[in-house]
Amino acid sequence: MVLFTLILIFLYLLYVIKPIFESAEVEPVGEVLVKPGSVTLATGLDELKEVAYQVDEKGVMTFYQMSESEFRPQGSEILSEPLVDGEVELLVTSNSGRRLLTDTQGNVKVVSAKFTAIYPKDSRDITPSVDYPLGEDSLPIDEQEGRLVKAAFEMDDEKAIFVAYTEDKRLIKTTLVADDDFSYDSAFEPVYQEIEFTGDNVDDVLITPDLMMAIVRDGNRVFIYDLDDEFSVDLKAELTNVVADGAEITAMALLSGGSSVLIGDSQGQVSQWFEVAAKKGRQFQEIRRFTASTTEPVTAIYTELYRKSFFTLTPSGEMGIFYTTSDADLWHGHIAKAAPKAFAIAPRADALIFADGESLALMKVNNQHPEVTWKALWQEVWYEGYPEPDYIWQSTGGVDDFESKFSLVPISFGTMKAAAYAMLFAVPLALSAAIYTAYFMPPAMRKKVKPTIELMEALPTVILGFLAGLWLAPLIEDYLPAIMLLLIFLPIATFVTAFAWFKLPKEMKARIPEDWAPLILIPMLLLAGLLAFSLSPVMEDVFFGGDIRQYITNDLGISFDQRNALVVGIAMGFAVVPTIFSMAEDAIFSVPKHLTSGSLALGATPWQTLVKVVLLTASPGIFSAVMMGLGRAVGETMIVLMATGNTPIVDWSIFQGMRTLSANIAVEMPESEVGSSHYRILFLAAFVLFVFTFVFNTLAEFVRQRLREKYSSL
Amino acid sequence: MITVNPKANEVAAPLDLNNLTPEQTALEIDNLNLFYGEKQALNNISMKIPKGQVTAFIGPSGCGKSTLLRCINRMNDLVDTCSIQGDINLNGENIYGKHVDVAALRRKVGMVFQRPNPFPKSIYENVVYGLRITGEKNRRVLDEAVERSLKAAALWEEVKDRLHDSALGLSGGQQQRLVIARAIAIEPEVLLLDEPTSALDPISTLTIEELINDLKKQFTVVIVTHNMQQAARVSDQTAFMYMGDLIEYSDTNTLFTTPAKKKTEDYITGRYG
Repeated sequence: MVLFTLILIFLYLLYVIKPIFESAEVEPVGEVLVKPGSVTLATGLDELKEVAYQVDEKGVMTFYQMSESEFRPQGSEILSEPLVDGEVELLVTSNSGRRLLTDTQGNVKVVSAKFTAIYPKDSRDITPSVDYPLGEDSLPIDEQEGRLVKAAFEMDDEKAIFVAYTEDKRLIKTTLVADDDFSYDSAFEPVYQEIEFTGDNVDDVLITPDLMMAIVRDGNRVFIYDLDDEFSVDLKAELTNVVADGAEITAMALLSGGSSVLIGDSQGQVSQWFEVAAKKGRQFQEIRRFTASTTEPVTAIYTELYRKSFFTLTPSGEMGIFYTTSDADLWHGHIAKAAPKAFAIAPRADALIFADGESLALMKVNNQHPEVTWKALWQEVWYEGYPEPDYIWQSTGGVDDFESKFSLVPISFGTMKAAAYAMLFAVPLALSAAIYTAYFMPPAMRKKVKPTIELMEALPTVILGFLAGLWLAPLIEDYLPAIMLLLIFLPIATFVTAFAWFKLPKEMKARIPEDWAPLILIPMLLLAGLLAFSLSPVMEDVFFGGDIRQYITNDLGISFDQRNALVVGIAMGFAVVPTIFSMAEDAIFSVPKHLTSGSLALGATPWQTLVKVVLLTASPGIFSAVMMGLGRAVGETMIVLMATGNTPIVDWSIFQGMRTLSANIAVEMPESEVGSSHYRILFLAAFVLFVFTFVFNTLAEFVRQRLREKYSSL
Repeated sequence: MITVNPKANEVAAPLDLNNLTPEQTALEIDNLNLFYGEKQALNNISMKIPKGQVTAFIGPSGCGKSTLLRCINRMNDLVDTCSIQGDINLNGENIYGKHVDVAALRRKVGMVFQRPNPFPKSIYENVVYGLRITGEKNRRVLDEAVERSLKAAALWEEVKDRLHDSALGLSGGQQQRLVIARAIAIEPEVLLLDEPTSALDPISTLTIEELINDLKKQFTVVIVTHNMQQAARVSDQTAFMYMGDLIEYSDTNTLFTTPAKKKTEDYITGRYG
């Protein structure tokens, strides 16, 4: 029955986890027929995939109704609106999905497809319309009214920036500043600037969504311009060694968030570049490479709106889906006979739409958890903006374009670290106590001591947790030298007391009932503790310059957390002691008396008998006890939740905190969206925890059986 | 009818147990009283146990024969409530004296218990246990001790090819002989056997009894048994105890054929026990 339940839990965990390891799927669902003879320059879908649109060469935006219940074309045209007068010279799509259309005089218009959902009765209607965020009138971008060959555009609430390359080889920047009420007025005067450009031609222009940088490509040379300065545009950097010898850059795109540049080349390679803090300040660096095709060049790179995925296209119409951070190569396949001229990823990245002859082809994409791969979970990953690859657990962030970092290494490490420090505290204490209680303690005293320690196990760990977090942690912080002194004082006090007792005249001994003689240790230990605590400030003054925390931080260079492994070791050790003690004590006590008598009768001292016979015979039980303790320490939640500081860092230092698998699940499960990658990874964390305890217990049982075979008593 | 060990009679005339010379005496028990808490378990026991002979303690259950045996190597010290008055002299030295090292005493007075109690170690390690705890590390000394002791305990031929196998794989009788080998490996002066065959089958019992006959050439053997035939078969002297009193103590032949006391006669003829 227990086994069945365990298997059910196991299967359920697997069921929840499974989708994150599935690769992407792409499935064609149909075509939308467009006006005969029109050339599709751009296309797109609304968020709910109920309306598709097309912008043709005449600058007409046409919306097509799709089936409401499922994602497939229905065919009816619902709205058609001309955007410009005359032909479209150039159409550019910004990172946020806005379209920039230019005419031959360098006038531009910014449009975006707008979808409004209304809810009549029990249904939902999506009404499309065309939005002109910078006004319906054409804006002159070039002071000299030249033809624009390449252009890029980005805007936020305060300003809109255009960077364009004209036919007469000028690189220009035009800025539009919003009014105080954050609206753009077409009558507002644009600020024109010319950018000093040394190249011969411009093949690509990109502007980062934060309006800080422009990326300009001339053949294989990639220039980064600083757009932040209102008055002059400076060349910030030039990327070097962008492609291999013999290759040419063929495509460029900005990854979602705008921090990374993706560069595709003629050999089918795509490289990811972002700024990394280096000695000379932040510098662009190649981070990783993907192979889109081994035979063909990359003609275009399209990026998702919210995630760090990108899609590549080749001249033969082969598409590749990749996820940058997790280094994942998700899907490859031919979607068309040639690279589509217009291609768009649905806002939620669950569908594709692209121009295919006189129709718009629709494809469903199932790619829910591309950010999770074995590598991303367990290996060092180089995240955007980080100086080097690292293990990071950071599931949520304060900004929208935050990328979740799901490395299980720090939290698995934290689990191990917490358990290790707890065992370091608990095992010596519990085993010595068990040996003494079972083997040396007077029976009358044992009858009281054993149940008392076992009672400790019933102490709710949440109480231990808050005592550790709110009382012990500050105490240790204030009296750190005392804690170190205790390590020396307590054993010394024990030995001194034992020696004094040994030397005490018989008459004095007779006054104390023999059964309770060991109790005289208690006042001695308390005295030693008191001494340690009263010496603590003195030691701090003499050896650590008055403040041990500063000494540790400044002189030793170790950072000090108030909630650290020392606190957890003591608190969780305290929780684990009864488990280990109780089982080990039973094991030692149940060593048959005739074995100990046999050893004593051979002239062995009690100590020799203990070491050579009793512990040997009890070893399976003692081993079990330690493993049970370890299992408990690994799975323990409340104490680590309250006393560790929950910082997911990989550091063995005793003065640093940690985050464990169990605490991580407890902290984050309530805030994770059901079905999201985060949610499934928390289940994966649970699964890892399950495996940990399973492995420990199996190992324990296996070793125990082996030991039992070897040392089983009669 | 009870048959008396023929060899015991042939070897020499019975010793005069009341007038043993110090050279002939292995142990002298002198006015020994033992209490478990308030209850007195041994009453004023005095006896001399001769060297190089087998002395048996018999008597009904609870008569104190095992308790007396355990006094000889101070195993009763392990019982917290036990207190002892009187002396036991080993080679003229009181083993309850002030400065006696109990561990050293137990090396001189070995003991074999009712149930075979080999340690969960190899046969070899069991035999050398007593030597190892005295710090003996010389491999040759240990090897020799193993062979000598196992031969003396009549076990060598059976186990010489598997000395490093677990002792727990041996049969009950083999285990008991192993325990005897373990006890004699440290060459004690006196060997105490506390009902050594009570947990064994008749064939193993016979082997052990034959072994006891050999052992007395080297050691003074004191055996506790509730089996009168066994006492008659293996011992030279027999002491009959009843309710903590030593009722009668004489050479085995005399005790079983012409007991001096009524209680002894009643016991050996099976009226109680």
